[in-house]
Amino acid sequence: MASEIIRGAGLERYYAERETWAPRPEPASGSWDRVPVSLDGNGRAVARVAVDGLRCASCVWVTERVLENSPGVSAATVSYATGRATLQWDPTVTDLPTLAGRIAALGYRPRPLTEAEKPDRDLAARLGVAAFAAMNIMLLAASVYAGWWGEMEPRYSALFHWTQLVLATPVALWCAEPFFRGAWVGLRNRRLHMDLPIALGISILYLHGAIATLLGRDAYLDSLAMLVALLLAGRLLEARGRRRSAEAALALATSVPRTARRETASGLETVPVEALQPGDRIDLGPGDEIGADGEVCEGSGQVRMALVTGEAAPVMVGPGDRVVAGAVLLDGALSVRVEAAGRNTLVSRMATELEAATDRPVEPSAADRIAPWFTAATLIIAAATFTGWWLLRGPPPALTATVAVLVVACPCALALAQPLAAAAGLGASARRGLLLRSTEALLRLERVTLVVFDKTGTLTGGALRVAAAESETLRVAAGLERYSNHPIARAIVDEAIRRGIPLPRASRVQEIPGNGLSGELDGEQWRLSGGGPGEVRLIDERGESRTIRLADQVRPDAARTVAALKNEGLRVALLTGDHPDIATRIGEAAGVDEIVARQDPLAKAAWIAARQAEGNRVAFAGDGVNDGPALAAADVGIAMGQGASSSVLVADGVIATESLGPLLAGRRAARAARRAITINLRRSLVYNILAVTAAVAGLVNPLVAAVLMPLSSGLVIWGASRVEARVRREEK
Amino acid sequence: MNAILFLLPIALILGAVFAGLFIHAVRSGQFDDLDDPPRRILKD
Repeated sequence: MASEIIRGAGLERYYAERETWAPRPEPASGSWDRVPVSLDGNGRAVARVAVDGLRCASCVWVTERVLENSPGVSAATVSYATGRATLQWDPTVTDLPTLAGRIAALGYRPRPLTEAEKPDRDLAARLGVAAFAAMNIMLLAASVYAGWWGEMEPRYSALFHWTQLVLATPVALWCAEPFFRGAWVGLRNRRLHMDLPIALGISILYLHGAIATLLGRDAYLDSLAMLVALLLAGRLLEARGRRRSAEAALALATSVPRTARRETASGLETVPVEALQPGDRIDLGPGDEIGADGEVCEGSGQVRMALVTGEAAPVMVGPGDRVVAGAVLLDGALSVRVEAAGRNTLVSRMATELEAATDRPVEPSAADRIAPWFTAATLIIAAATFTGWWLLRGPPPALTATVAVLVVACPCALALAQPLAAAAGLGASARRGLLLRSTEALLRLERVTLVVFDKTGTLTGGALRVAAAESETLRVAAGLERYSNHPIARAIVDEAIRRGIPLPRASRVQEIPGNGLSGELDGEQWRLSGGGPGEVRLIDERGESRTIRLADQVRPDAARTVAALKNEGLRVALLTGDHPDIATRIGEAAGVDEIVARQDPLAKAAWIAARQAEGNRVAFAGDGVNDGPALAAADVGIAMGQGASSSVLVADGVIATESLGPLLAGRRAARAARRAITINLRRSLVYNILAVTAAVAGLVNPLVAAVLMPLSSGLVIWGASRVEARVRREEK
Repeated sequence: MNAILFLLPIALILGAVFAGLFIHAVRSGQFDDLDDPPRRILKD
């Protein structure tokens, strides 16, 4: 349809030239000003912010109490599962930056939802210290082990032991703190958390090490330091992978410089759209995204509202008509009086509502599910070992064997199994153009059974094609349009070239703002103008008109992608608000199993919910604000990167390129990650069973433990590094 | 070998100093972004 005139000429030119003519102003004052704040009926302000660094239910409790006791705050709720806070306050008493400051003062990290998570500096510092200590302890331990058979003088080995203890103390007491906290929170909530066996192992290793040092015997302190360093590295890597995807997605969401040209007493100034006020007048040219809701005062032009309303056809607007933020002016020029700006625009309000609806609780990871069993089994085996050895040989060998059991059973490999593989999977997916927001989204993508596509901007790309036109009409039109970079112009010229029509040169070509072109060819005066939807009319001097029909085109890789998805055993559906005829044409061209047309945004979400109720796990790919409810309803919502920024914000993932291929790549990465996680878990379980058996039998001494421990972690790290290779192999 | 009785504690103190400097560097944001700064010079 002529609808798909989007990102064509206007916008592309905008990108190419924006460095020179669209300065990107700094946000008006600090990023907190950009957070959407809505007013409720009683004049109280309500906003949602993300809070990073919440580690436990009591963190949530403290944060809520402190906020509620702040002056002007009427309600504050913090969700541990999603790390988000909803605040309600009296705007005459306090403001959002002040409240954010309060949260920050508690040691948590508040941020606007539209910003990526800040790096956890604390974790990095702990990792650095743990790695430093681990390397030095290993150096010392190696020399002590080398003197295992008695070559070292006792005073030197004592010195080395004490030095190891000095180095290990900050590792156990400070670096390992996150694990102790995790274990403690788990216990308080009556759950056997993965951190519990880790914390237990660390405590026992440290206590045993301290006692062994006092007695002048070999401690396992090198194992302790290495264990802590590896575990911290795993957490940091996972956080980094997650943050990178989120940052890249947000960068896409905000890549369009959101500025407007505002009329002032002396002329025009460029301001961020957030700075617009009701009553301002803004000027818009071809390709401009309208920055605020308002009424047209002067000028006319065609406006594409597809991102906002899902209606594909551009709308002709003139004085008195309403336009909404997020719509794109395709041609013509407008002067608009702002009625609602920034967070009060229709788009912004829709986005806020959606965002509130998309809080998904975090699912427990595979390691979390295994942890309680694992912990219980370890404790039972340790107790049995102690009793057994005590009865057979007396207390000293019983203690040694029990410590050995707890040390080798410490689930380093188990705890690293998922985060490393997931980080590798997220990275592999992101490199191929699908940016996923979380490990959960990656794993859900792998379990999808039904893939649903939106039509406009998703299954179809931006390019238009001529569906029907007489050759003579096409020749004249191409002569007029050859100078233009408009998508319609390109479609006409391309079709003329394809049919082998020599391109004539029209003279006196002039653009009629908002209504096409005029020019002279073969001594005759011609006019090209928009007809009905999907049509362009060529009108001659006598007023006789000929029609060129345009069609919107399925993305070049759509059919291939759909076929590949079906090949993987998935069902594929097309879900659109458009006319059934158009939907059928596009759907058949792409080869989908099911075509559902004439659905409004809420009906789309309901349709997806109905499929879920039938037992399907649904992935939905769409691009507009009108796709928001469907993106939120789906198990995995994937936004097209060049779509509306608010749809990017509610989605689980974003396709960063102009194609559907990344969806397949993302599925490959998800499969590889899932496989690596399974293999890793299996490997670490096998390792643990073997090592624990050896320890129960009293065969494990410090040297054996020092070799076994990094071996098991190394195995898991190697397993995770295979994710990228597996994705590459599948691509062939 | 007696030298090691003095050198080890000195090494530990030096290590602690550098660990302190490292923690300070991390907390002041030196390691927040390891990818962009090297490329930023190419953008101008």
